[in-house]
Amino acid sequence: MDIVVLCKFVPDLVEDLEIDASTHLLDRNFLRLMPNELDDHALEEALLLKERHGGTVTVVTVDAGDVDEALYTAAAKGADRVVKIVGEGLDQGLSSQRLAALFAQAAGEWPHDLILTGTQAVDDLDGFAGALVAARLGMPYVGYVTKVASENGAVVARKEYPGGLNADIEIVGQAVLGIQSAEKPPRYVVTSKVMAAMKSVTIEEFEAGDAQADLELPITGMAVPQSAAHAEMIVGSVTEVAEKLAKLLRERGLVA
Amino acid sequence: MIERINFWGLHGAWHTLAVVVTYAALPLCALVLLVRLYLRIRLWWQVGRPEPRWDHINMRVQRLLKYAIAQVKVWRQAYPGLMHFGLAWGFFVFFLGTALATIDADIVKFLRGPLYLGYKLLLDVFTVIFLVGFVLAGYRRFVQRPERLTLTSPFALALGLIFLIVFTGLATESLRLASVALQPELQPGWRPALGWITPAGWLLAQLWLALGLTVPALTQIHLATWLVHAGLVAIFLVTLPTSALVHVITSPLNVFFSQLDRPDGRLAPAFQRDGLAGVATLRDFTWKQLMDADACTECGRCQDVCPAHASGQPLSPKKVILGIKNALTTCRAVLRGRNGNGQGEWPPFTGAVVEDAAAWACTTCRACVAECPVLIEHVDAIVDLRRCLLAQQRADGQLTTSLSNLRRYGNSFGKSDKQRAKWTTGLDFKLKDIRKQPAKLLWFVGDYASYSPALTEITQATARVFQRAGLDVGLLYDAERNAGNDLRRVGEEGLFELLGQKNLAALEKCQFEQIVTTDPHSYNTLKNEYAWNGQSVPVYHYAETLDQALRGGQLSPLRKLDTVATYHDPCYLGRYNGVYDAPRRVLAALGCRLVEMPRHRDRALCCGAGGGRIWMEEKNVKERPSENRVREAAQLAGVQVFVVACPKDLTMFRDAVKTAGLEGRLVVRDLIELVDEATRPLEPAPAVNAGAGAP
Ligand code: SF4
Ligand code: SF4
Repeated sequence: MDIVVLCKFVPDLVEDLEIDASTHLLDRNFLRLMPNELDDHALEEALLLKERHGGTVTVVTVDAGDVDEALYTAAAKGADRVVKIVGEGLDQGLSSQRLAALFAQAAGEWPHDLILTGTQAVDDLDGFAGALVAARLGMPYVGYVTKVASENGAVVARKEYPGGLNADIEIVGQAVLGIQSAEKPPRYVVTSKVMAAMKSVTIEEFEAGDAQADLELPITGMAVPQSAAHAEMIVGSVTEVAEKLAKLLRERGLVA
Repeated sequence: MIERINFWGLHGAWHTLAVVVTYAALPLCALVLLVRLYLRIRLWWQVGRPEPRWDHINMRVQRLLKYAIAQVKVWRQAYPGLMHFGLAWGFFVFFLGTALATIDADIVKFLRGPLYLGYKLLLDVFTVIFLVGFVLAGYRRFVQRPERLTLTSPFALALGLIFLIVFTGLATESLRLASVALQPELQPGWRPALGWITPAGWLLAQLWLALGLTVPALTQIHLATWLVHAGLVAIFLVTLPTSALVHVITSPLNVFFSQLDRPDGRLAPAFQRDGLAGVATLRDFTWKQLMDADACTECGRCQDVCPAHASGQPLSPKKVILGIKNALTTCRAVLRGRNGNGQGEWPPFTGAVVEDAAAWACTTCRACVAECPVLIEHVDAIVDLRRCLLAQQRADGQLTTSLSNLRRYGNSFGKSDKQRAKWTTGLDFKLKDIRKQPAKLLWFVGDYASYSPALTEITQATARVFQRAGLDVGLLYDAERNAGNDLRRVGEEGLFELLGQKNLAALEKCQFEQIVTTDPHSYNTLKNEYAWNGQSVPVYHYAETLDQALRGGQLSPLRKLDTVATYHDPCYLGRYNGVYDAPRRVLAALGCRLVEMPRHRDRALCCGAGGGRIWMEEKNVKERPSENRVREAAQLAGVQVFVVACPKDLTMFRDAVKTAGLEGRLVVRDLIELVDEATRPLEPAPAVNAGAGAP
């Protein structure tokens, strides 16, 4: 099974974050980047699949700054190829839209039965990136995956739902999976192996084309959320609560 | 004149037989011994990696005299010390006696007159000493049966064999004495002296006389006993290489080749084979580490003092060493290969012979090394195992999280380097930034003292005391990284080197004369393991710096603390670097009365945090070493304060006092807190409450 793992870099939250007043974006001068934690889980899951079923693992990231060490670390962990997408302005911060466009362009260049990525990131809590990549590539997407198994040629992804529910979803053909957590904590590879990878591994470069976002929303202003009216607590027996709720929804025109 | 008679009482054919036994059979047995021994010990260099151990020959000879002949470490424990002294020296003196007899018989006759009598007396006295040792050993092995001993038959057989050799020797002598007693014409002038010159033999001779044996009967029995004696010696020689007694040869060798090329606090660099670090199979050990295994006497002292073992972890340093020994015994098949051509596959050692959890349980406290009578180097072997385990990704999750933090942030707390010196904001003066201003002392604060919120006040107190003593101190601020002592000891050699390079790069740009550390772990690695580009930089622990300041008068106690305290020696300050007296002198200067715990100085029990244990999960612990330790202190009448000199200790023991339910009985305080308290200029209120109550 050939797997492409998409990794992005996110602001490290141990540092104080500053907002640039003119762009309304994070001030990148004070930013320290780190690999997205859930992408690390995606890589781990990919490596586990490779160990079980063979194939290759290709790690793709965007050259957002100091990314080489993370790529060498991925190679030392067992990735077969490490790729960085290079181009103008990639270190200025990317929206999920733009990121997905770049990833979709690059991912197709390497063998992939599956594309794995972290299901969320600190700067993408809604978890758009993976789904957007899937949409661009015309593949199905499953997010919040905690386990990927391959049995008799069929890939089954276990998706976690709120409330302790799980679903095993069988996947036909290629797909993008958003990994919530790998089956095992991401492995730690000793520094000497990373150093050795720095000497022996070549990072492949992929020129970013004019991958445009479908939709970029400009930020026009920022404000601290104001607390408005307080929540109204609906009390009573189950039937009473249900009745009040239904009435309320009808009043607000949310249900017919 | 009385003299030694060769082959006393043997005539004719018997004499010939005796000559054949002595000059042909026994030398042949000795030859068998040498060949068998060679076949065993050549495995050391056939299997093991090379390691130079031929330096400092004169110091090696000194060690041989001290540890193999005088056996000073055996004496660290009175009962086994006396027991072993009796057996070892008894046997050693008989060996010498036999050698002298051979010289007397075949080279030059000198055992006559008073010299001969002195010779006899010495042998007889040591027979008694040997018998005392034998009784002690028998009692220990069959009655006391301590857990640490290997209570298997080879040891009992070996003990029985040497006893029989000595006993038949004594019997031979006594039979001769009895026979002499019945023949008044023999040795008339010396007769009265025989009783007190060979008291043991004389006593036994009285038994034969009482039994009414005649001269011919005595001569016959003497002959038979002598033959049995010679036969036993033959068995001893032939079986020695595989017997429990082989340590009479391997242990002195091990002492001779013990580590001299580096300080105790410096580990050997990690070995790599096919890109994998550390010891994966037996052949990744050095020849000396294999010799260690064959030198082990299985006395179990190391296991007895091991904090990991005592806390119920699956680690016994003795078992690690014996694991190597067993693997060495069974490795011949590998050397021959399955089909006789070339070497076969080496079976895994790490994770197979020694289980993963055992290797990870070690706190690298070095108590085992300090206790081992034959200078076996357990810690180096265990770190070699960990290097392999870590490279094979067989470490627990909590440890790898800390390691990831260390790699990314240079500290195990996973905090920003910009926050490293945040604790200084609470000071009412500014500490020099040594990167911008030269200072006499570079204070290497370390991760725990810098980042742990529980230690902020103590680190601030340290700064105030330094200032009060007028010390010219500067900090590296955000440029400091974890010094790497524990990183190295969990087996992360590469990261140890990387962080070391970062620290050295930062230090190189600064001007200072000395380094002072808060953490004994940083102290050890900065002092012993950093390369410093070949220059020597003096490194001190703050206990030493304070001791100097107090003795030099730069710092004076303004009040006597009047506290009864006990002091816990941190492993990396005490056992690793021999700093025992400085902290004790500081306590004395403050007016504290020190009561020692039974285990103090180089016998101190580890708090359980060292060797990276503080970063690992604690699983299946019976009693934490730290709890065991505070209970030990709580036994001391009158002691209220448990003084430590290591930030990790403070964390460990404060927890332990709570979990052991000793709050109110003991207070854990850092040495610096006491110094601060005694030297702080008087504030109007509140009154200083010596010793009682945490700050
Ligand atoms: S160093 Fe300490 S913990 Fe490790 S084996 Fe030796 S005695 Fe046990
Ligand atoms: S390693 Fe040393 S202390 Fe431990 S059992 Fe062997 S000889 Fe005794």
